[in-house]
Amino acid sequence: MRCGLALRLHCRNNPDEMNIPAPVLSLSHVSRRLSGNTIVEDLSLDVPRGVVLGLLGVNGAGKSTTLRMMVGMLTPSTGTVFVEGRDLASHPQLARRGIGYLPEEPPLHGELTVEEYLRFCARLHGIGRDKVHQAVEQAIARCELGEMRHRLTSLLSKGFRQRVGLAQAIIHEPSLIVLDEPASGLDPIQALRLRELMRSMAKDCAVVLSTHVLSDVLACCDRVAILHRGRLRKTAPLSEIAALESEFVRIASESPSMESAA
Amino acid sequence: MSGFLLIARNDIKRQFVQPFAWVVLALTCALLAWQFLVALDAYLRIVPKLANVPNSQGATDLIAIPLLRSLSGLLMLIVPLATMRSLAGERRNHSLPLLLAAGIGNLRIVLGKFLGAYALVALVVVIALAMPLALHFGTDMDLGRLAAAALGLLLYASALTAIGIACSAWTSHPALAAAAALVIGSFLAMLDMGARFQGIDNALINWLSLSTHLEPFLFGLVASVDIVYFLLLTTLALLFAGRRLDGLRAHG
Repeated sequence: MRCGLALRLHCRNNPDEMNIPAPVLSLSHVSRRLSGNTIVEDLSLDVPRGVVLGLLGVNGAGKSTTLRMMVGMLTPSTGTVFVEGRDLASHPQLARRGIGYLPEEPPLHGELTVEEYLRFCARLHGIGRDKVHQAVEQAIARCELGEMRHRLTSLLSKGFRQRVGLAQAIIHEPSLIVLDEPASGLDPIQALRLRELMRSMAKDCAVVLSTHVLSDVLACCDRVAILHRGRLRKTAPLSEIAALESEFVRIASESPSMESAA
Repeated sequence: MSGFLLIARNDIKRQFVQPFAWVVLALTCALLAWQFLVALDAYLRIVPKLANVPNSQGATDLIAIPLLRSLSGLLMLIVPLATMRSLAGERRNHSLPLLLAAGIGNLRIVLGKFLGAYALVALVVVIALAMPLALHFGTDMDLGRLAAAALGLLLYASALTAIGIACSAWTSHPALAAAAALVIGSFLAMLDMGARFQGIDNALINWLSLSTHLEPFLFGLVASVDIVYFLLLTTLALLFAGRRLDGLRAHG
């Protein structure tokens, strides 16, 4: 029934794409209020498998709050989040098993080596003891961490810390990967590698990427959703947004009065 | 392996790759060993005189119990240090999202953190117990009384650890968590003492005090009311910590 609901939501937003399977992630009228302020307002969004969605917005647009609601770290004030058709509020533990999340600051345990940390993450995400070794090796290979596997995570450079964070997010082969500003603080080469990795990951799952860097979106996203002052202002395939930069700047520079008129 | 056991095992590992746990263990051992040897030396000097006294106290009364009573005071300092980083440290290092975003419930996270910290605290208790137990090779120790004292100390330590975890859940500053746990623990331990000092003999205040429930164990008395008290305190503190994690999800 939940799958059916997710499918319905997806089809409602994409009536011309009836043959596309149920979205991996579906946000239905999600709002988040905090201390009387609305951080995110009436957000509805679907992300099918194989799609990289770029969540674009200026600082304070509500991107991180949205991502935290997507992964179940924050409960929406109203609305529902479905992951693979499961309501994140009523089946939190089961739904979260299918999510890989990299917050803005990689959640590392500085006392552990890369390999020890990834082994812990694999078990934490429900991978059986007999499959942990394989999962860790795979994540290390995908994120090119081989040389660093025996190094303490606290001693790694920013780029490698980010890669370890990414490895923990993909180690259990989730169907939804949520990345909060994954390229922040990386040098151009590291950022390029990260984009390639995100593209390769998106073959088997849905990826949501939050950023305010337009080049990240242009390089690796299929769809873009522009958030401004907590509201979803535009969502479309990247190919349909001819001049993403001018569209983004236009939306970002709108005043609250212009928004309400819109 | 269950999620909370996984978290507990990981926390134990993380504790023991850092010098902190070893320093705590070394200092506690050194302090207790010094007290133990001083008491043993004094006991050996008075043993000939005690032989002539009917119903005189033995090594259990004169060495083991005072040592374990000192340990209860030391635990008041050790436990806040062992628990302060459990959740506050995770929040400070931005690593709490790893646990919150994994498919593990809040209470399981708290339970895992509790067991991880409790392992170190229980190890301190076991090491302290090993000292008087070593005397059993040379003299007759009251093993039943030592077992009761060990049970009491382990329950007492579990209550203090749970309070420490609750304080650690409440703030993102480990030092603040340690200070709060120390204040609450000390308050509960000295509640009874303070009341008596003021001339108040109130049954509720007596019942609330940690020391009221620890002392019978040290005298070899195992009463269900004391066990229930410590288990209740532990459960309440852990539920409080769980509620705090619920609050973090609800309010950010």
